[in-house]
Amino acid sequence: MISTLAYGLTVGGILYIISIGLSLTFGTMRIVNFAHALVYTLAAYILVTSMHVLGVGFFLSAIIAVAAVIPLSYVIERFVIRRLYGQSIDYAIIATFAVLLIGVDAIKWIWGAVPIPLSDPVGASFSLLGVELPVYRFIIILISLLIFAGLELFFGRTVVGKIIVAGLEDKEALASLGINVDKYFAVAFTLGSCLAALGGVLYAPITAINPYMGFQVLLICFAVVVVGGMGSIRGTFVAAFALGMVMSITGRFWGPAADTMVFVVLGLVLIVKPIEA
Amino acid sequence: MLLSVDRINVFYGSARVLSEVSLHAKHGEVVSIVGRNGAGKSTMLKTIAGFLRPLTGAVKFDGEEISGRPPDQVARLGVRYVFQDKRVFTKLTVRENIELAAHAAKVRLIDAIDRVAQVYPKISMFLASKAGGLSGGQRQLLLIGRAIVGSPRLLLVDEPTEGLAAGAIEEVLRALELLRAEVSMVIVEQNLSVVSRFADRIYCMKEGHIATELSDLADVRNQAYLETYL
Amino acid sequence: MLNATLKILQKFDLLVIAVLFLLLAPIISMDRSIDFMIFCIFVLAYDLLYGYMGRLSFGHMLYLGVGAYAFALSGEYLAANVFLALLIAVGSGAATGLIVGPIVVRTTGACFALINLALNQLGYFLVLVAFSRWTGGEDGMSASFKRVGIFNFSNHTIVFCFTFACMLLVVFLVRRLTNSLLGILLRGIKENETRVKFLGYDTFVIKMAAFILSTTLSAFAGALFIINYSYVTTSFIDPLRSVEVIFACLIGGAGSVYGALAGGVGYKLISNYLPNYIQRWEMFLGVVLLLLVFKFRSGVWGYVAAFVKRCDRPAEETKSHPEVSR
Repeated sequence: MISTLAYGLTVGGILYIISIGLSLTFGTMRIVNFAHALVYTLAAYILVTSMHVLGVGFFLSAIIAVAAVIPLSYVIERFVIRRLYGQSIDYAIIATFAVLLIGVDAIKWIWGAVPIPLSDPVGASFSLLGVELPVYRFIIILISLLIFAGLELFFGRTVVGKIIVAGLEDKEALASLGINVDKYFAVAFTLGSCLAALGGVLYAPITAINPYMGFQVLLICFAVVVVGGMGSIRGTFVAAFALGMVMSITGRFWGPAADTMVFVVLGLVLIVKPIEA
Repeated sequence: MLLSVDRINVFYGSARVLSEVSLHAKHGEVVSIVGRNGAGKSTMLKTIAGFLRPLTGAVKFDGEEISGRPPDQVARLGVRYVFQDKRVFTKLTVRENIELAAHAAKVRLIDAIDRVAQVYPKISMFLASKAGGLSGGQRQLLLIGRAIVGSPRLLLVDEPTEGLAAGAIEEVLRALELLRAEVSMVIVEQNLSVVSRFADRIYCMKEGHIATELSDLADVRNQAYLETYL
Repeated sequence: MLNATLKILQKFDLLVIAVLFLLLAPIISMDRSIDFMIFCIFVLAYDLLYGYMGRLSFGHMLYLGVGAYAFALSGEYLAANVFLALLIAVGSGAATGLIVGPIVVRTTGACFALINLALNQLGYFLVLVAFSRWTGGEDGMSASFKRVGIFNFSNHTIVFCFTFACMLLVVFLVRRLTNSLLGILLRGIKENETRVKFLGYDTFVIKMAAFILSTTLSAFAGALFIINYSYVTTSFIDPLRSVEVIFACLIGGAGSVYGALAGGVGYKLISNYLPNYIQRWEMFLGVVLLLLVFKFRSGVWGYVAAFVKRCDRPAEETKSHPEVSR
């Protein structure tokens, strides 16, 4: 049971890291960004290439991967997302999905469709209450908590963060003060993308890297964002860990149903609290 | 001429909401726009501020054409729009609300708070409270205070006394009176007693166009006379 | 002149459509044209929700899959009677719509898209894993039927004629529906649901009706697919394939019967022939999708319709009003 709980926290941590970006993009721009999954997937592939082809260590490769997605995220924001501001949300969904399609196919083209396994970068495990747990999972949980703290600081203490918080609530008022909202939303978007990349990098050793890994996680992240409240950073935190637990516990009793149970929860939440999107 | 609006036509989709509207405001003037609900008063202010773009016609601020420019640019030129509905950033504190205005205007926070306190001395009591917890009157004063950080030359105020009790209205008017010397204003108001006390000139809007302009101060100060125009 | 010709064509549009498809069949092969026609039915079913009611579903393969599997399961476990299976398939589609409708229909926008997707995932899981004992899981199951009178569906000509008739019937049905009060109300809901409510209509009932109609027709298409292929696999309920029908709607132009047909045929032509010329055709599809969203919102049919309008009334002001609300 302990390993199940630990795994739940690990998954929760990763879901949190990835979902922040989705929540921000939806909260600030009212856009459901399917292309988020592309950043996540691409980071994992860059990580693997850096490690297996260039021979660089995990830590440095992780940094390279996260840094490498910044230009991609800029291009997506500038040429796709920004054009979708204020438009019907359907077009945002279709357009970002198209970007994802293009990206996934490009990945298949460059790297092939065969899943690439990646070994645990730490390799060690420790003992907790008589159960062997991989240290790496613990590190993930730690990182997600650090990020939570970091984001709390960012949104609570820095001017840029506060502008984004204000923008989540009322972007017209920001404009009336003379603030170029687009610029700050672009910052939010890039931040979210980097976090997605980090999530991809962290999750890579736990799952086999394949071109469709983005799809698999994307839906669950949407569930996290909807359950946690679109645009609520703290809500995302709680929802991510809650759903991570749901997945882990379900997975223990009936393996393949883990993902599905998340959707059941999502469905229940939507029944009780339908959200205008 | 500080503000000149020249025959603008504004549409929401295919519905025309402003037709051939012209108005102006001189330096140091307080111009008021009155009219029934739906007459197009807020649309007027939004167009000047840059939130809407007129299909034809021009908006000039201090000689510079601003129609079609994005609202943040217009704000940086010295035009500040104070929204209806007392919309403050509820999740931030009062101090943080002012901080954002200070950041945008490239002004020190201390100076910004002083500026706000000039028109609303009580602000120093609320600095640490979340803006969402303020009353209507307090919010309105915070909004006005926020808007004057950075010394704008023109204030566009949308229904500042709406929904406020008499005491709060007095406070708001006092604040605006203090600002009168430094900032020109265009105020949309439904409350005729406020308008007749305060404005130098009045435009009466009706169904998307200017029906009358009252520039004779005697007329303006005569509330009963004003009421015949609504 | 152009307008007059088009008016005549419109009056006999079923005939025109029939002729066009009959001309298409020998060019692309009869088997393919059966596939095309069934897909068009699916697109029409989808367009009811997307084009008319304005709700983007990202998981419509669920309803197609329900029909497909219900059809196959009925044939396998109930009786090898095609029409019984069809009935059950259509009924399953309607039942699914009835069950999930109350939750789904209350949402809009992103939530609508996502909850359909989530349900689709759920369905996919049920078929692939939970009920794999009956559905054959990844391997799928075969569906063969005994002949009923002249309806011997192992004969492809019969399948063609049957599908052809079904497609025309669905076109007729959808057209009647969308020109009726229901159609007007749907379009009203798309524009401004509150206003329709204020007019005194129960929008929930209207939305449910449209939703159930869409799921039922989708299930019907699903069953027809299995008549054609005699085999059902999880690809018929695969959520990733939902993008196909969205693409078809966009290409053809959402919100019109002709657009749906044009889009259905268009997408199928692309997916059938393009891979022969462009290896990375899925990437190409993504690019075209982007182009459609940014440049050609109204799709092929929308463009044609607008073009025709402009030709006929050159004096009319077609200036759009660039109100920019930031």
